[in-house]
Amino acid sequence: MKARPGPIALWALLILFPLLVSLSDSAPFFEDVGATLILAAIGASAWNIVGGYAGQVSVGHAIFFGAGAYVPLLVFSLWEVPPLAGVPLAMLVAILFAVAIGLPSFRLTGHYFSMATIAVAELVRLVVSNWELLGAAIGMQGPATPRGWWDLIFRSSVPYYYIFLGVLACVIAITWALERSRFGYYLRAIRAGERAARSLGVPVLRTKLIAFMLSAALTAVAGALYSIKIGFVNPESGIGILVSVQMVIIAALGGAGTLYGPLIGALVLIPLQSATNTLFGGGGSGLTFIIYGGIILLLARFEPGGLIELWQRLRAMVLGRFSRGAVDAA
Amino acid sequence: MLLEAQSVSRAFGGFLALSEATLDVEPGEIVGLIGPNGAGKSTFFNCVAGDLAPTGGKIVFDGVDVTKAPAEEHARLGIGRTFQVPATFEDMTILENVMVGAFLRHHRTRDAQAKAMEVLHLTGLEAQAQQRARSLGTPGRKRLEIARVMATEPKLLLLDEALAGLTPSEVQRAIELVRRIHATGVTIVIVEHIMEVILTLAERVLVFNQGRTIAQGIPQHVVSDPKVIEAYLGHHHRRRRARKAEP
Repeated sequence: MKARPGPIALWALLILFPLLVSLSDSAPFFEDVGATLILAAIGASAWNIVGGYAGQVSVGHAIFFGAGAYVPLLVFSLWEVPPLAGVPLAMLVAILFAVAIGLPSFRLTGHYFSMATIAVAELVRLVVSNWELLGAAIGMQGPATPRGWWDLIFRSSVPYYYIFLGVLACVIAITWALERSRFGYYLRAIRAGERAARSLGVPVLRTKLIAFMLSAALTAVAGALYSIKIGFVNPESGIGILVSVQMVIIAALGGAGTLYGPLIGALVLIPLQSATNTLFGGGGSGLTFIIYGGIILLLARFEPGGLIELWQRLRAMVLGRFSRGAVDAA
Repeated sequence: MLLEAQSVSRAFGGFLALSEATLDVEPGEIVGLIGPNGAGKSTFFNCVAGDLAPTGGKIVFDGVDVTKAPAEEHARLGIGRTFQVPATFEDMTILENVMVGAFLRHHRTRDAQAKAMEVLHLTGLEAQAQQRARSLGTPGRKRLEIARVMATEPKLLLLDEALAGLTPSEVQRAIELVRRIHATGVTIVIVEHIMEVILTLAERVLVFNQGRTIAQGIPQHVVSDPKVIEAYLGHHHRRRRARKAEP
């Protein structure tokens, strides 16, 4: 594999980010935004496997995020074990949900699949909101004070930042390997045309289902990291529709079905969100919806391929002009 | 016998699009399916390809009953098909399109790529390997579809109007390609409504009209069959009369 300067610079910047902002007066704020950003990139990258590569636009990934957020806190509240120990169970629960949702709804295509996933996610949210075991509408809490390092409770956001960054690197590495494998080609073929893919021997339903399970398990990891960092989850922050929509928007903004699209999307959207939240305070939360709506409009109208494709097109245009200039000069 | 389709029927609601079509294909043959528009040849073709389940009859391929099998199972057993309207994977490169086919028998990426390059060489698409499929015109897309399905190493290749919409010189090149594929030992069933193409390619034709097979045999005999002439010309006559009736 050729070492490309873009990704190397990007990773270097992400690794050095806490050092760069440590000089600022509001370092804790920037560090927290950084951790939120990386977490959003993990969720969007996980969504990208089934929503981007396979083109199955799920708007119900909050279920998997919610499973990831609730299960670690549930095992803590039941048995006092560290939330971290609940992560494998959370992934398993998410995978079971993926099978239960995928088997019937992958017979639907396009918008119908998206709508089915929204409906199931809202149903799950309502059930959780009324389930005493899961804290009903109030939510669940993690350990109040750390009993050891394994509780992963830190005062600063920097340790979380680096844990999240490590997980993001794993998710991107998995996606990278996937992209080059038979499975990855099959996912893209399904996105491009199911009927043609089937005619070439692609087992469409099975491939979609496996992608959905993998995506769900990784999304659950994002959810678990969220609830471990915040130490609290409620139906809105865990399974609310905004959780699903944010993953879709971030991936689509950067470029769905590309390796770095979700990370690029998070790099743009999360700082924007934090800026509006600080500028407008509590009243800014409504603004999030306006930003999402605006992004959807712009993407649908001008650039369905997202920022990565826009960048590639601009570069091709500039390079084209340069080479033409060179020919003119000669 | 490579393919045995016995009394295959397909109804859409109350409409019987295909009624008891029977076709046997020996290994190494080129068989043409012809007939006017709406005659049922595409329906029959899609039943054999596994895209439509027949509502009656039986299809046996290479000794395996595939009547109810899904399309991907047909591909696995060695039935390859192209689409009337090319269904290439637009955002993927031409090489990647063909690799999707090659992955059926070659699970490792490197092997699939080697197989795809071999097929691109056979079909004359090597030079465009890194271009996206969307950059191709209709003839290129039809050629890419053939390349993609050839990468699955089919025993039986079903071509659905692979030559329609091409200029005469493109048709010539496509005919050469079909011959080259046939020479590698692939059995071919081709749907076409341009008679000339069938006459030059097929050793045997099956004529469809209004959902039924009305004639079968070597092309020269079939074209002089009164039933076939009526099926084709009757159509034209009706149309001419209809046009005259308009004020």
